[in-house]
Amino acid sequence: MSDVPPRLAMSDLSKNAQCVLKILESAESLTTTEILGIASTDEYADLCTDCAGGDAFVAAANQLVEKGIITKKFGKGGYRWQLVKD
Amino acid sequence: MVDWTKIRNDFPALKRIINGRPVVYLDSACMALKPRQVINAMNEYYEEYPACGGRSIHRFGEEVSNAYSAAREKIAKFLNADTENECIWTRNATESLNIVASAVKLPKGSKILTTSLEHHSGSLPFVERARRDGLDIEIIKAQSDGTFDIEDWKKAIDSKTSLVSVVHSSNVTGTVAPMKEIVEIAHDRGALVMSDDAQYAPHHPLDVQDLDVDFSAISAHKMCGPSGMGVLYGKLEHLNSMNMFLYGGDTVSDVRFEDGKIIPEYLPPPEKFEAGLQNYAGAIGAGAAAEYLQDIGMKEIEKHERSLLDIVLKQLSNMNHVHILGTDDINIKTGLVTFTVDTVSSAHDIATFLNDELNVMVRSGWHCVGPFHYQMGIDPKKGTARASFYLYNNLDDVKTFLLGIEQLIEASK
Repeated sequence: MSDVPPRLAMSDLSKNAQCVLKILESAESLTTTEILGIASTDEYADLCTDCAGGDAFVAAANQLVEKGIITKKFGKGGYRWQLVKD
Repeated sequence: MVDWTKIRNDFPALKRIINGRPVVYLDSACMALKPRQVINAMNEYYEEYPACGGRSIHRFGEEVSNAYSAAREKIAKFLNADTENECIWTRNATESLNIVASAVKLPKGSKILTTSLEHHSGSLPFVERARRDGLDIEIIKAQSDGTFDIEDWKKAIDSKTSLVSVVHSSNVTGTVAPMKEIVEIAHDRGALVMSDDAQYAPHHPLDVQDLDVDFSAISAHKMCGPSGMGVLYGKLEHLNSMNMFLYGGDTVSDVRFEDGKIIPEYLPPPEKFEAGLQNYAGAIGAGAAAEYLQDIGMKEIEKHERSLLDIVLKQLSNMNHVHILGTDDINIKTGLVTFTVDTVSSAHDIATFLNDELNVMVRSGWHCVGPFHYQMGIDPKKGTARASFYLYNNLDDVKTFLLGIEQLIEASK
């Protein structure tokens, strides 16, 4: 069962956004590098297919923040990204 | 004396206020902003004469044909090509590089030479050409500051070398390659030179005849022109001897039907490489951009960018936790700085923070130059941040950017 707010289905999101969302479902909060590291693992290979530079994933993550689906907080070490729970 | 404030006012995007703050645009190495003059030139086409060039005999057709030809002449002047027929319209520098990699005739058993500093668009077409035809390919390693040791070129370019493809100005380190020396060595040994000028052309005076390069690739979108528009420069003798890249309408002088066969007769360059209906608005915009930059003066633009870069490099290199990639010698550098900050885990955090806090727009990632990041031991996922400066940037932009980096370090350590 996805934690995505009901107004948005997974299919409404870009593939990169779905990738970020799926990864954040698996943890309390993650750093940018942790998200990109997980995205490059075999487990996420089908969903997270964009280039190794990672900028497209971070752009997608920022769009999810704009939509209110995830949050980001800047602190020691950089950003931590977290799913907004219903 | 150039009035840089007046120049800045030519760019409508810089008048935007986002979250109560002005925009600080430092991503011109990816995409340059467009001045009103370029936007107007393209709008004029769409509003006044939005027709086909070269084929329609009505008034609109005549006007677009004239504007299209004039645009090519402006580009030829910008590059100092011998004739406008040496300038082929393409979608971007990537397509220009692909045309050469795919269509230039190279002897069997010969060697292509390129470098670890190339943009993927500069390396991959030649990697694939070598694979396609069983050619050798050798990669010259850039030094850690992004410069090249000319001795490496002297050693690597041998009598087997048929083509050298080299980035004139790196989009990562900003370093300018010693193109004239490379061309002299290459020509001395019978090799052609393809210069990737996507980053060089927008920021420095470019004279293809003086450099004596055989090919040059540029993208209009990095030089204040429209996206989806580029140019391939090639010496006419090479363009004449190359295979075609695309076939179709506008590439032919005749297509006969004889004995059940279709027999084409193809046009010489540039039409030989420009199949199908062209991006007239894009070409007109690219021409307007070239003219706009030349009217200001490329030497003046280079000087302005380097004056800003000088301040940025000095300030950044004095900051703890900041690590700069590439030489600090501004005399061999385009107006950009690529760096990491060791208090954050990823360069994407730098770009996100600067954007969120101060509307400072920089690029983060591997900038389509994976090999050099791997060579330098930088995990592409962590990447590097790049701030790039252009003619419309000013001292306030620099100060805001530096303030942002200070705030980022303070908040993340």
